[in-house]
Amino acid sequence: MATFNALSETTGQVRVAVVATGVVSPLGFGLEETLNALRKATDCVTPVAGFDVTRCRCKTAAQISDQRLLGRHRNGRKNGRLHRAAHMMITALEQLSGQDSEFKPELSVIGTTSGGMSFGQDYYRALHRQRNLRRSPEWVANYPPQKPVLDAQDAFGISAPCRVIANACASGTNAVGHAFECVRSGKYQRVLTGGYDALSELVFVGFDCLQAATPEKCRPFDRDRSGMVLGEGAAVLALENFESARRRGARILAEIIGYGISTDNHHLTQPDPSGNGPRRAMEQALQSARITANEVDYINAHGTATPFNDAAEGKAITELFKDVPVSSTKSMIGHSLGAAGAIEAVVCLLALRAQFLPPNINFRNLDPNLALKIVANQSRKAKIDIALSNSFGFGGTNASILIRNAPA
Amino acid sequence: MSLHVAGAGWVTPLGGGVDEVWNRLLRGDEATTQTVSFGENHKSYSGFLVPNNALKNLPPHPRLRRASAISRFAAAAGLDAIAQAESKTSKIDMDRVALVFAASNGGVIYTKRFYDDIVKSGAQSASPLFFPETVFNAPASHLAAILGINGASYTIVGDGAVGILAMNMARDLLESEWIDFCLVVAAEEADWVLCDAYRKWRLVKTQPPIEPFCNPSRGTILSEGAGAVLLGREGSVKVSSINDGGNFSHQQEATNLIDRILHDLRSEPAFIIASANGTFVDFAERTAIQKQMPTSMVYSLKPALGESVGASAIWQVIIAAQALGKKRLPPMLHACERSGLQFATTSSHIGSNAIVLSCGLNQQAAGLRLSV
Repeated sequence: MATFNALSETTGQVRVAVVATGVVSPLGFGLEETLNALRKATDCVTPVAGFDVTRCRCKTAAQISDQRLLGRHRNGRKNGRLHRAAHMMITALEQLSGQDSEFKPELSVIGTTSGGMSFGQDYYRALHRQRNLRRSPEWVANYPPQKPVLDAQDAFGISAPCRVIANACASGTNAVGHAFECVRSGKYQRVLTGGYDALSELVFVGFDCLQAATPEKCRPFDRDRSGMVLGEGAAVLALENFESARRRGARILAEIIGYGISTDNHHLTQPDPSGNGPRRAMEQALQSARITANEVDYINAHGTATPFNDAAEGKAITELFKDVPVSSTKSMIGHSLGAAGAIEAVVCLLALRAQFLPPNINFRNLDPNLALKIVANQSRKAKIDIALSNSFGFGGTNASILIRNAPA
Repeated sequence: MSLHVAGAGWVTPLGGGVDEVWNRLLRGDEATTQTVSFGENHKSYSGFLVPNNALKNLPPHPRLRRASAISRFAAAAGLDAIAQAESKTSKIDMDRVALVFAASNGGVIYTKRFYDDIVKSGAQSASPLFFPETVFNAPASHLAAILGINGASYTIVGDGAVGILAMNMARDLLESEWIDFCLVVAAEEADWVLCDAYRKWRLVKTQPPIEPFCNPSRGTILSEGAGAVLLGREGSVKVSSINDGGNFSHQQEATNLIDRILHDLRSEPAFIIASANGTFVDFAERTAIQKQMPTSMVYSLKPALGESVGASAIWQVIIAAQALGKKRLPPMLHACERSGLQFATTSSHIGSNAIVLSCGLNQQAAGLRLSV
């Protein structure tokens, strides 16, 4: 039997294991489907089905099929009243519980950006038409952002207090990072973390009116990139004190080893073009893990494909890292906002376990101002031990986490 | 690690400034409601709104030029908390301050305006000016920019208990040697659409007063504002325990959860700043208090300031800290005399411990203990 150190050799702090995970995204439900779709470089972006986009510039998004998502969960009669996001969280948590039914969190830390927004929209549209308000109490009660999390916890008998982080598009990575710090501090043994967001008209139109969304393909870091495509989904990760996990014989999938957070005060919606904010988050993650930039084998970039984000992030990566493969999996699954960081943490975990680099699809020509080694268009085999995942959001919030493959 | 309140600030329907509002509460003042309406075809509601003069000390800053009301409230309260702390100690190094912003409904006014354009005129009419302000962390971003906080900044969302959850998160962040202080700010803005939504949820009444602990409950009235506490490792008021409680699936289960929280926090005699607001919360708190701490003095600020949802728990913390410092509690207004609880009066004896209970309207509850 392999031996493990309870404390990290590099930091001397408590090690934090990922013992189970669940994911639902346009790539598929669960780790196997997600891995297969990543390897095949699947483009999940399709015409928007859930609401009218005829007057929008962008008309596509990466979506999860309602037919598959809805009506398959254990909440009985309550099921029909749940928000789509709650179904996503339940689906992800069901997978996690299937992998490790003994995992009982003391705390949950979950990221979201828009909560149950579409119920707010339903309510407001019904109000505007002055009819069909019969369902308004359930819309109102299920609209708050903590509800999908509490519904999912309730479905699996989890009573842990819940911190719902709403740091815009960095929420998911902030949630995983904060959960990591909670376990690493020694104060908590087990923390459930992750993120969720379901596509909604208000948010879709919001990004469209800012001209941040593209009517074309999503091409992160490409010379001709023209913007983001929205997505949706949920992912959860079970974090546990490494020693506690080892003692109870839990399967260790990966380790979270570092976390960085920074705030740049440049603008509410635009990143500091210097890349200073993202750079500080990545540097802090490296310091937190006590590793050097040379030890990072793969970067899952925030990579929204907006001109400003990719320029700032690309500059920061170029300054910090040399020849590290970079991809933005948002090119395949769109930007799922509060879920993105959690889904991308799972993508990194899969990349580490299956030893491959997830692709950055729709890529044609590298932005000449960036010196990045893009994993262009196809996945490829690689030996990777440590992956960095970035998320940046409105409000100048920047977050980076470092994930290491589990010991063999 | 020892956790203390190093400074506080608030913006309330009774005005701004901790001492100013405190003195009004001691006098038994309650805020005046205003009519909150939306066109001619919809029912009007009463709301406790923040008067303009409560923001008179808010400095001009480019970030606040088009900012929502909730961002302004948060900025004013946060700046006051920092100023109060700096009046007692040296200047605070913002590189070593973390920010935790808490809200429940967030920037609902701009969200409504943004979506209203879409509903009435189509997506092409949506305003790029409003959309960024609809994001939950916009107030935190503005406050961080004004103060120069460039490290950890978190926005957490939840129901009325979110302020306590934010304080517990701050306690966790202060475990880091890189952080000296954590500024916890909670804010909410009131709007017709919220009043209507909570009314349809059968929680809101149309006219004051809020009458806590009545049976049956008679409904609450929404309010707005912000509260801020600067938490550090030193200060006159100690946060001796935080219990981030848990979640309840049904309103009936709230009683058991509050009972457990109170049981865990009751180690010494203490007065209780309850979250009773004229809804099902009152029954849960009354039952738990009668069982766990039947002789404790109880105060709820909701009749005076209204139910500000996301901001309310931090208001309660500020009230508790003030009461411990001043050895007085404001008089409890409009409470049901037959509830069996001991309500605060201006002559109430105040000990050295306070418990803040927060039972939210949407499944979360938490509590904490303060001491001097």
